[in-house]
Amino acid sequence: MNLGTRKILDRSFTAVGVTSIVLMALALLVVLVPIISGGLKALFFQGTIEHRQLVYNEFGRGDREELERQKEQSQEARRPVFAMLDAFDAELEGMEPAERREYRSQYNHVRDVLHDMLGPLPGDIEPLLLRFQYGNTRWEQAEESLHDLLYVTKWDYSNPNVMAEKYFTPRVDEFQGTALAPLFAYVETHLEEMLLPQPEFYWGFITDRSLDAHIFGGIWAEIQGTFYLAMGAMLFAFPLGVIAAIYFTEYAKDNFLTSMLRSANSTLAGVPSIVFGLFGLAFFINTVKVSESKSVLAGSLTLAIMVLPTIIRAAEEAILAVPKTYREASLGLGATKWRTIVTVILPAALPGIITGAIISLGRAAGETAPIIFTAAVSVGATIGLADVFTEPTPALSWNIYNLASEHEAANEIRHVQYGMVLSLISIVLLLNMSAILLRARISKKLKG
Amino acid sequence: MSQTNLGENRMSGAFVVSARKRTIQKGMKFAGEGLLFAIASFVAVVVLFIFFFVARDAIPFFQLRGFAEFFTSTSWYPADAPGEFGALAIIYGSAMVTVGSALIAVPLGVAAAICLSDVLPFSVRQYAKPVIEMLAAIPSVAYGFFALVIFAPLLQNFGGPIMMWAWWLIAGPFMILAVIVLADLLTSKDGEQQSGTNVKRVVLSILFSIIALGFLYWVGMSLNAIQVMTGTNALNVSIILSFMALPTIVSVSEDSLQAVGRELREGSYALGATRAETIVKTVLPAASSGILAAVILGIMRALGETMVVWMASGNSSHIPDPWYNYLDSIRTLTATIAGDMGEADQVTGSARYHVLFAMGLLLLIFSFISNLVSERIVVRQRKILSGQ
Repeated sequence: MNLGTRKILDRSFTAVGVTSIVLMALALLVVLVPIISGGLKALFFQGTIEHRQLVYNEFGRGDREELERQKEQSQEARRPVFAMLDAFDAELEGMEPAERREYRSQYNHVRDVLHDMLGPLPGDIEPLLLRFQYGNTRWEQAEESLHDLLYVTKWDYSNPNVMAEKYFTPRVDEFQGTALAPLFAYVETHLEEMLLPQPEFYWGFITDRSLDAHIFGGIWAEIQGTFYLAMGAMLFAFPLGVIAAIYFTEYAKDNFLTSMLRSANSTLAGVPSIVFGLFGLAFFINTVKVSESKSVLAGSLTLAIMVLPTIIRAAEEAILAVPKTYREASLGLGATKWRTIVTVILPAALPGIITGAIISLGRAAGETAPIIFTAAVSVGATIGLADVFTEPTPALSWNIYNLASEHEAANEIRHVQYGMVLSLISIVLLLNMSAILLRARISKKLKG
Repeated sequence: MSQTNLGENRMSGAFVVSARKRTIQKGMKFAGEGLLFAIASFVAVVVLFIFFFVARDAIPFFQLRGFAEFFTSTSWYPADAPGEFGALAIIYGSAMVTVGSALIAVPLGVAAAICLSDVLPFSVRQYAKPVIEMLAAIPSVAYGFFALVIFAPLLQNFGGPIMMWAWWLIAGPFMILAVIVLADLLTSKDGEQQSGTNVKRVVLSILFSIIALGFLYWVGMSLNAIQVMTGTNALNVSIILSFMALPTIVSVSEDSLQAVGRELREGSYALGATRAETIVKTVLPAASSGILAAVILGIMRALGETMVVWMASGNSSHIPDPWYNYLDSIRTLTATIAGDMGEADQVTGSARYHVLFAMGLLLLIFSFISNLVSERIVVRQRKILSGQ
């Protein structure tokens, strides 16, 4: 082959390698950026008067006088809407039955959208569910409602070769000549006065309980559940893992039995996470019966088994990284083997062991599959520390799945889902980041 | 602990201890080590328990329904009475996304590992490592959420153009390379430089470029014309799973590339090989078994993954038509276990409950075998390399 071609091939080989690393970084960005930007919207958004009222009523936060003043102001702007509705109601009464029926379904839709937007209208029955007691709490939702109010969605089936295309016609056309006709223009121009949007920083998203199945409120129950599960798992796995690592590094002889144990360790590391869930269900709940049904304890035990191999490996590496001279000095001073391990080797290896533990903690916090059958429930209140032995808990990872795939209003609460994903990723990545920093410090220290 | 005291005793009384005391000391030491051993073997006990308890709940299914239906039928109607439990389509779905993610992750991962171990300077490598660690750290449910809420709509609305652009960006550079190499190979066959060689090469290059461009354009246009019916499909899942398998593949193959000694590389350079030739002809063959182990581990990661496939695969239990249609919805073993247990849990003891454990057992056996194989491979490579 020509030398020039060989050079080109060499360069492009390098380029392929660099590109693949750049692609991985890009993949990370592509995943993280939308999640971060979407997640922040759960905390920072244009909140309407409905949001402030909800926060005041449910959590007792907010300036009462200011709220009353704003309520008065928005009520002032809403009054003409209600007047128009009343006028149209009266007009309907006077119509022929056939004509009335024709208007009825359209009119009901208008009322529904207005209800979504502004909360219960005068004359509605006081709704039971919290989600119907308030209007749109977020301005972008109000804008969607407005679009829904102003336009009728229609589908164009004229071309059979492609999927039907969506188009919109103004809803006002349907009510031309009635008392309702001016309502559309009025709502379009006065929506801001009716809802008074202002920038909000809703830190309560982290610390509030959820209201009406996450349609309002925060995610504290999930955060707490994740914390319990992950900490519980570490409580079991950490001591076991460190002791096993001591055995493997200091005591195990190089024989068949040891290699079997090591093999078992790597097998455990490779077991699919859903199988841990099956095992947790079959063993901890159905056989040992650590609890009646799902509980934090059963979930923690399952997660502990899952992270055990990681902890053992990390602890082994940390212990092996302790310089031989430490050991020899201690033994030379007459300390026994066990004493050397406890007073010399473990303290020196501790930062490394903790690095491994932090990473495992993050993994336990993020795992979903093992807790589906053992610990997680979709709706639940925060549980006290005493309840962990018997009660299941909501957890971030499980509720992300549940809200995104199974919630009845999954599309309306995207901001909650994004907020949860961001919280989970922040917890996990912060843990990992601190582990990376800790490791960098250790390697600096070992280098001297 | 008792052993600490024990040490002091031995120190002070080394010359006066009676035979009986020594026996006690020895016994204590033995007991202490035994305790450590017991805790260390806890892991092995857990593995045995996992096998036992999953198998215990899986076997009743095979007793009730036999093996034939599970492995050969594609009709999966567990909720019917009597239910049908043909898992072939589900097993196929698992295989499909695993192969798909491997096709993406293996070339990318091995290239990245080579780059990390042989190409990049140490200072840059330090920034690349955390990227890989972060990719590995992101919880699977977050990937699943991304696949379902962000990626699936994108794929559904702009699937054709996205695939066309990916094709151009990936295949384009490789086509250029192929043209250059092909022209070179065809002209320098005779060995010596002739006066007409350069002209011949230029003509051939132009000819090949036209063919390559035509090919690129034709495939690109046909990809562009594809209408993606649903964004929650095997392609979506394969791409996301490949993100998740990448860190494993990169770090394990990098270890194995590092294990290939400096001497081999230096020998190759001394013979006048370029870096690419050194890596492809010398380092990669030496590290091949380790890379194979990495691939197996990465594949296991993809096969055992639950949340992404559950959320974004469409969960429809059928073999796509045609069989390689990655734009169709599929269903996998893991997603079936996760999704059906909620309903089957109420009917413990029925075939519907036990079939999920049968699937779990299948996954478990698969992961066990591949783990053993990859471990054996790594051990053998280490032996061979250290022997040299």
